Amino acid sequence: MIDRRRFLGGAGLAAAATLGATSCARSRATGDNVIRYWGMGAADTDKDQAVLDAFKATDAGKDVQVIIDQVPSSGAADNSQIITAVRGGTAPDLWWMDRFNAVQNASIGLLEPIDGLIEEYEDVSVEEFKSQWIQFAVDELTYDGQTYGLPTATDARGLLYNENILKDVGIDLDMFDPTQHVITWDELREVARQVTHEDSRGNYDRFGFVPWVDQGTPYTWAFGLGAEVYDNETSKITLDSPEWKAVFELYADWAEEFPYSKVDAFYATYQPPNAPPTQNALFSERLAITPTGPWQIQGNEKYAPDLPLKWTWLPVQKDGDPTYTWSGGQSLVIPKGANMTKTLWEFLKFFAGYPGQSIYQPMLGNLPTNLQAIVEKKYNPGAELFREMLPNSTSRPPLPVGSAVWDTTDRAKSSVALGSKTPQEAIEENQALIAPKMALFPDFKMPETYGKPSPIPEA
Amino acid sequence: MSATDVDGARAAGTGAPARSTTPLAGASGEKRRMSLTHKRNLRLGLLFISPWIIGVAVFIVYPVTYSIGLSFTRYSGMATPTWVGVQNYITAFSDPLVAKATGNTLFYAIIAVPLGLVVALTLAIAMNQNVREVAWYRTIFYAPSLIPAFAMSFIFIVFLNPQFGVFNQVIGLFGGSNVNLLGDPTGVKIAIILMAQFGAGNAALIFLAGLRNVPKTVYEAARVDGAGPIRQFFSITFPLLTPVLLFNLITGVSGALQVFTEAFVITNGSGDPDGGALFYMMYLYKTAFGFAELGYASALAVLLFLTGLALALLIFWLSRRFVNYDVDAA
Repeated sequence: MIDRRRFLGGAGLAAAATLGATSCARSRATGDNVIRYWGMGAADTDKDQAVLDAFKATDAGKDVQVIIDQVPSSGAADNSQIITAVRGGTAPDLWWMDRFNAVQNASIGLLEPIDGLIEEYEDVSVEEFKSQWIQFAVDELTYDGQTYGLPTATDARGLLYNENILKDVGIDLDMFDPTQHVITWDELREVARQVTHEDSRGNYDRFGFVPWVDQGTPYTWAFGLGAEVYDNETSKITLDSPEWKAVFELYADWAEEFPYSKVDAFYATYQPPNAPPTQNALFSERLAITPTGPWQIQGNEKYAPDLPLKWTWLPVQKDGDPTYTWSGGQSLVIPKGANMTKTLWEFLKFFAGYPGQSIYQPMLGNLPTNLQAIVEKKYNPGAELFREMLPNSTSRPPLPVGSAVWDTTDRAKSSVALGSKTPQEAIEENQALIAPKMALFPDFKMPETYGKPSPIPEA
Repeated sequence: MSATDVDGARAAGTGAPARSTTPLAGASGEKRRMSLTHKRNLRLGLLFISPWIIGVAVFIVYPVTYSIGLSFTRYSGMATPTWVGVQNYITAFSDPLVAKATGNTLFYAIIAVPLGLVVALTLAIAMNQNVREVAWYRTIFYAPSLIPAFAMSFIFIVFLNPQFGVFNQVIGLFGGSNVNLLGDPTGVKIAIILMAQFGAGNAALIFLAGLRNVPKTVYEAARVDGAGPIRQFFSITFPLLTPVLLFNLITGVSGALQVFTEAFVITNGSGDPDGGALFYMMYLYKTAFGFAELGYASALAVLLFLTGLALALLIFWLSRRFVNYDVDAA
């Protein structure tokens, strides 16, 4: 039998070995030709690999070792993984990040600006180099006059509708044809009334439309109603403006006719939260219309190839009003502490530039941000309407408190739709929550070009 | 004269109460020998418990101390913390979301904890029945506690589905209309309270140990005196279980203040509808890792810690009135 001394000695050795192994396990790979990259996500590993293979076939990439980890950004939710990695010295050299988080992450010192790399390795000015990408996407990566990464994918918002359901209830489909008409809110309400049907117990078993589901976020309608989050002139949060009140009045108005709880029960039944992509109320022909974007195209083609699912513009107040939308998307950024080498720059430029985007954008379903890739239509043909939207699209305002604004306005949406707050109470609370946070960034200015058209050259 | 001699003189000559003398307090040579043994035992003892000492120091003492320090700063997790004094605490007391999250958490705690104790005690009594298949009952009653909170949350989403969920199917059998618990700010809290009862098995095991500790002779004496089962429960079982009840109450309150996982999964991290499931820990988490306000989040954590401590002390103080430690005497 093992004696106590040997047991203690063995246990000590085992503990030391474990500590040693764990401390070495995630240490940074070294060398100027080694790049650690946090990729698009487990479902898109093939896209990352396709770009990497293409890069390795170039002169710049032939001796490069790229270590891909799939640690996806979780949108506005959680930055703990990347902060921990940067603080622990194990951060990647390159990170596929939701562009919406760029300014917040730059403001806390999580990202490296790339202007120095452009100046060092490119023969053109920083501005000229950045002009290869669509303006609003570059704006979303700009903080305090510096650029924090290059934009990759983008998107826009529109209405996705099922022609079968609309035809069944006798709707004139020309109303939804984006080449003939932009539907108004009143017309959309009437269509929703006609489509919506209840079963014998009073539950919706076929549903038309409500403005608070899917991409029906306050931001989406704010762009149509002229509501702005931040006034660049006065450096003030403007979440209590009359335009924002109109956004929440829209929810309150629709919720009077389509109660939040009943709508929620419909979605919980036919498209519950965290459901697999196949369990979609559109695919089961229970839902007629929803606000969404081109990322849905892949799913439509894969899971409902025979359904007549089509796209049109977001609704406007009255006939003749200009169309509107907004664009999100991703970017490639360099976390603090990365090995800023020419190799890294070449890989970043390749990945976010025309060569990379022409490989992965058609596979992703979204739209490119690289102007040449847009002009040469390196995207899914089903996204053509969204491509038309791009010149007049813009991003959500690039603010260092972006996540908090998103979270706050989204919560107010359900409060108003449920009737627990009036639109006036909602906007007052939103302002009270966000203004003090933004006050920590006195005289903050968004880029001058924010909110202005982003021209795309003709083919 | 050594201190031991003084003590000995006092004890012998003055009539003062004599200290208990141990072998360690004997002759100096003996003292040295015993002291070496004592030291060796101490070293070995410390070595054996060193993983826990290190664990507590590294994973509890240091983070708690660091967090208290951070609570007086503005800190994003990246740049150097900036001292802001008690500003984070002032902000916390005027933040409407802190008020909402606190209200939600208290709503949960006030219902879930007492209900959990009743459910756990009922399960424990069922597990304590003197029948042959009791081992099966114990396994069946305890099994739901083994399901991780996130998995139970997914089960509940389906269970409570407003149309095809079992919950609404049963209501339908009695002619009731569908209830969309997860679509209502109060309903979602009630759903999470119901879900928590599936984890009552852990507390039930502790109650069961307490029940097994009550001497059978006491029940026999009570029966001889003519006490029925209900009288026996309220006069014997319950009073003698109060130390266990106190333990379960304190751990239950502590757990209730930190409710997080179920709400996070069910609401997809939003805490909606209408912030109805925005519990304190969830707001703290969002503040720290979503909004990169680790200083403010640390202040919220300190306030939570102080609240938990105050409640524990209050329960201890109240426990003098209801806890009976006479089980051995009984």
